[in-house]
Amino acid sequence: MNERLFLAVAGRIVPGVGSLDAAGRQAFLALVREFMESKPPALRRQIDLFLSLIRWLPLARHLRPFEALSPERQDAVLLGFQESRLLLLRRGFWGLKALAFMGYYGRPVAAAAVGWRPEREGNRRLHP
Amino acid sequence: MTEREYDVVIIGSGAGGGTVAKELAPLAKSGARIAVLEWGPRFREEEFTGREIEMAARLYHEGGGVLTKDGAMTLAFGKAYGGSTVVYTGTSLVVRPDTVARWGVKGLDHADLARRSAKYMAENNVHLIPEEDQNENNRLFRDACRRLSWRVEQFPVNVKGCRGSGLCNLGCPNAAKQGTHRVQLPQAESAGVEVITNCKVERIEDRAVLARVAPCRFGFPSAWEPGEHRVKARFVVVCGGAVNTCALLLRSNLPARLPVLGKWLTTHPALILVAEHPRPITNFHGHPKSYYCDHFTESRRFLLETCMYFPFMTAKSMCGFGAPHEAMMRRFDRLQMILSLAIDPAREHNAVGINAAGEPVVDYTLADDVLNSLLESMRAAARIFFEAGAVRVHAPATERFAIERADRERIDDLVVRKWLRPGRVSISAAHLMGGARMGAGPDDSVTNEWGEVHGLPWLFVGDSALFPRCAEINPYLTIMALADRVAERVTRRLSAPGGR
Repeated sequence: MNERLFLAVAGRIVPGVGSLDAAGRQAFLALVREFMESKPPALRRQIDLFLSLIRWLPLARHLRPFEALSPERQDAVLLGFQESRLLLLRRGFWGLKALAFMGYYGRPVAAAAVGWRPEREGNRRLHP
Repeated sequence: MTEREYDVVIIGSGAGGGTVAKELAPLAKSGARIAVLEWGPRFREEEFTGREIEMAARLYHEGGGVLTKDGAMTLAFGKAYGGSTVVYTGTSLVVRPDTVARWGVKGLDHADLARRSAKYMAENNVHLIPEEDQNENNRLFRDACRRLSWRVEQFPVNVKGCRGSGLCNLGCPNAAKQGTHRVQLPQAESAGVEVITNCKVERIEDRAVLARVAPCRFGFPSAWEPGEHRVKARFVVVCGGAVNTCALLLRSNLPARLPVLGKWLTTHPALILVAEHPRPITNFHGHPKSYYCDHFTESRRFLLETCMYFPFMTAKSMCGFGAPHEAMMRRFDRLQMILSLAIDPAREHNAVGINAAGEPVVDYTLADDVLNSLLESMRAAARIFFEAGAVRVHAPATERFAIERADRERIDDLVVRKWLRPGRVSISAAHLMGGARMGAGPDDSVTNEWGEVHGLPWLFVGDSALFPRCAEINPYLTIMALADRVAERVTRRLSAPGGR
């Protein structure tokens, strides 16, 4: 996987990805890598192919690859995939989005940061 | 390859397999050799960490994200000692009489299933969670439904000493949920039934199964050494869950005419819907699922249930991306969640098949009537959220990310079919039913009303694959009731002269 490109796409899906420090970025990528390694080669190739599509599709219209576009144009490209008439493109983008969410919110520190702090004795919080 | 011999081999240890194992336990006590072969591991108590990604990867097939053939829906089913009963919320409802009537299986009546369900309700400590242990996520739903004059009921759940970790779907860290891993399997083992974990059954042959034990990085080691095992059995009961049961039967090339094997699959396609309140509410503390609204079961064919999921699951369930998505996620302690489930009709073309490697491929088309049910469910859920006081509602079938409170009178205009496109909206399913349906003969079913595979008197199915149509409610107790019937028939066969 082209991790640099994936980080650029993921940064538009979850803006917080862009402000991760080095350790956070490594933790994010570690989850993504672990997921990718658990998948069959055919699926990994599909994900790579879809990332390439996101990268090069804007060339036709904007004469630049995805990562060289302004944030607004990047969002418009991604929105185009989400709203595509083709199931293949919609589901491809959904998969990529899920991967970005997994890498970001799957980190325990991010889960806690959004306020999800489960406790074994959760009922105690219901009747303080 | 190791050769082994048993009287009964049960494949799978969830609601179906665990129940069959426990019901056959008296036979084990009197000398019958019975083995349960479970694909997943038996977890140590300290391994239920509550960490979302880690537990999902360990407890579910493909982390709970098995894709359908067209990639439009994800399927979640468990893989552990106890099967999916390790990861459900413990909801235990008795199937309704009209549902059983719709199934139309001769020799299967509601009274029989209700009687058997009652047995497991008692055995698994099914009861209602008291008001003081219900969180706001649940109570807001209940109160809003009541104000809207929509029928709302409390879920009976099978917990004992629930401390409200809210982590049911990641495996209870307090050992409170009374799935088959806590009740039926330990009872069966104490009577002499052997449970072999980390053991995947590759194929069924004539009165035998071929299985492979593989080491696992977590859980207790398997009772059998890693490698291939050929296990002879007088009776084989397949309880691997609708998907894996069908795939196993399909790749076994059984010597019987079974033209509908794998077909007529139903799934209760579901949406996780999210709304934001103006203040923090208690949502992830406490049991996550206390109420359901079945007001629209007959008229619009959907169910609404309370639910509370974890950050990644929540994030991927919402449509859209970027700043609005992230902003809603940041207010996690203000989120209310509703699970909507379509009551999908059984259709022959919705089916479990297998690929060249013999692995399952689920071909399920989200038909217009099912999508319309989901659309209506979204509108109903949005009304509940606003009635409960939410300031904005994320309804995936809208152009914008969220409906603001000021627009709450325009729900029907904003939540429209145009935006409910598979692949755009995250649709998932955890109630997988059918594929080896019960019925009168092989032209329209795979087993008879006792789970016996047509033409193969030594082979039974004992899980949700038996459902002729969907359960129209959370199915676990009904799976146990059906498995109880299967066990009764196997017991009778084994106890007959020459049975052993």
